[in-house]
Amino acid sequence: MNTLTRLCRLWALYARMDLHWVTRDTKTFVTWSISDTLLNFGGLLGMMLLAQRFGGIGPWSQAQVLFLLSYSAVCGGVMEMFCGFNVAYISRRIGRGQLDHILAQPQPIWMALATEGFCPFTGSAVILPGVLLMAWAVSRLGLRQGPGWYGALALNIAASTVVALSFQFIWGSLAFWAPRAAEEINSASSRLLRQLRPYPLEGLAPALKGALLGLLPVGFLGWAPCRALLGMDSRPTSIWVTPLAAVGFGLIATAVFRKGLAHYGRTGSQRYLAHGHRT
Amino acid sequence: MAEPARSDTSRTDIALELRGVNKTFRQRQRSGRMGDIVAGLIRPVYREIAALRNIDLEVARGAIVAYAGPNGAGKSTTVKIASGMLVPDSGTVRVLGMDPVRQREAYMSRAGVVFGQRTELWMDHTVAASYDWKRVVWDIPRERYDRMLAYVLDVLGIAEFYRTTVRELSLGQRMRADLGMALLHEPDILFLDEPSLGLDVLAKRSMLDFIADLNRQRRVTVLVTSHDMAELEQLAGRIVMIHRGEIAFDGPFDQLRREFADRRVLRIDTDSPTAPVLPGATLTESLGCRHEYAFDAGEAGIAELLACAANQVALLDVETHRAPIDDVIANIYVRWQERSRQ
Repeated sequence: MNTLTRLCRLWALYARMDLHWVTRDTKTFVTWSISDTLLNFGGLLGMMLLAQRFGGIGPWSQAQVLFLLSYSAVCGGVMEMFCGFNVAYISRRIGRGQLDHILAQPQPIWMALATEGFCPFTGSAVILPGVLLMAWAVSRLGLRQGPGWYGALALNIAASTVVALSFQFIWGSLAFWAPRAAEEINSASSRLLRQLRPYPLEGLAPALKGALLGLLPVGFLGWAPCRALLGMDSRPTSIWVTPLAAVGFGLIATAVFRKGLAHYGRTGSQRYLAHGHRT
Repeated sequence: MAEPARSDTSRTDIALELRGVNKTFRQRQRSGRMGDIVAGLIRPVYREIAALRNIDLEVARGAIVAYAGPNGAGKSTTVKIASGMLVPDSGTVRVLGMDPVRQREAYMSRAGVVFGQRTELWMDHTVAASYDWKRVVWDIPRERYDRMLAYVLDVLGIAEFYRTTVRELSLGQRMRADLGMALLHEPDILFLDEPSLGLDVLAKRSMLDFIADLNRQRRVTVLVTSHDMAELEQLAGRIVMIHRGEIAFDGPFDQLRREFADRRVLRIDTDSPTAPVLPGATLTESLGCRHEYAFDAGEAGIAELLACAANQVALLDVETHRAPIDDVIANIYVRWQERSRQ
């Protein structure tokens, strides 16, 4: 069985399990979905109101700000859909000594992490409204783009998600060395990403802008790809900036995680929290 | 993923082989004094704990081996190393002819691990859903899955709660479900780390019977750790005892008794509340006219003890039996501790 077939088979399995979970306790699911959607859009609302009040932000028109917000919402939604069960919050699994469960599976670790968090039903609370918001923004902008533009949009969304996930893994890997202290570090890093990702970075000092594209790469989760997609950055290579950043951050995250995993192999975990090893 | 060849990876009769395995952990030391708190930030102090020292261990295919020792002796470390979750500092580990770390994926498709304090089941799903998850992730061929599923449902009695959410199971049911899940891919070797932890007497007995049956019927190699010596003796013929990271004993239970004293209990009913003095035996309890002694059968013969007692009092009834294995082990641990202090 080739890798892609196996990935699809595993995603289908986790989708089925997610559907089982949803149908087991629909009331909880609906309540949780509504509150999660409100929470996520609450985070975007401030920016939307500012854009409304001032007729845009800097060089960004109202509709462009709307597109930026929808883009970051879709990226957040993709993360939630593919990286549930503490895959995006990897510090929890490491800190709780639960990586052994992945090591006990006869498949590559990356494959387990790439598939185990897939929850298309419970994780759809943000992505669907995000897509609707994006469709509205595109119609307001009057964009008449061909399949190439939509391909670039999909590529950039995937790349932004990889940047965000890599950032989570880089910080989350600290839990290999400090399981207790860093167990919840991904909650903090995720909060940072969520709060800062919908902001345009124009007008910031170069050092700060550099930091927001490097140390804390929120610029790649909305600002940089949206500028490229909306033609605000006219350089033809601009569309490739975020995918390139994804490759860079992905490599760093892989290296850090592998180093941490080697440490885990040497020291093991001195603690184990048994309240369901994926939650 | 291709179905692994189930017989060609090793041509020896040895299922598990550890050679010169060492493992040391570091523990941070803190005194709690103000000065040390600051100093510890700059130069932390660590203590090295040798979890395993030069461990040599062989387990034949189809054997069932008890792995015992006091808390912190290195039992779980051994199981983790043998199951590829921990890398030894030095030494070699071969299980089913494979290196558990370097050949992890192929190895895990043929090995099963159950930790008494952990569960591989999905807490918010039914046992059935967890088992189906295992089928897909382990890529178990349908024929083998159906056969093993029928086996575990029947022998472990899982059918009655097969469609129940794992979170709602009792501990005994959950352990049975976990053990069943570990067997679905029909492993050649099974590591059980405290599998009966927290189980009641009935659940424990049913678990032990199942493991013994599994080993007998299906020739699955089993390495089982437990604190409960009586349980281990019931299950395995061979016991490996580890103490402070070293193998202190490796052999049959009978030999363990012989080597570490054949402890017996002598109970006599007499006509006197005063217990007779028996050289070579220690009075452990005296209730009315009933007196109980502990003695080493290798040093004091029963006939001599009874003759000695009969010289002092009238014997109304006599009862003798072997000391429970737990007492033997407790005795060994005490001796080890005394030896370590010296």
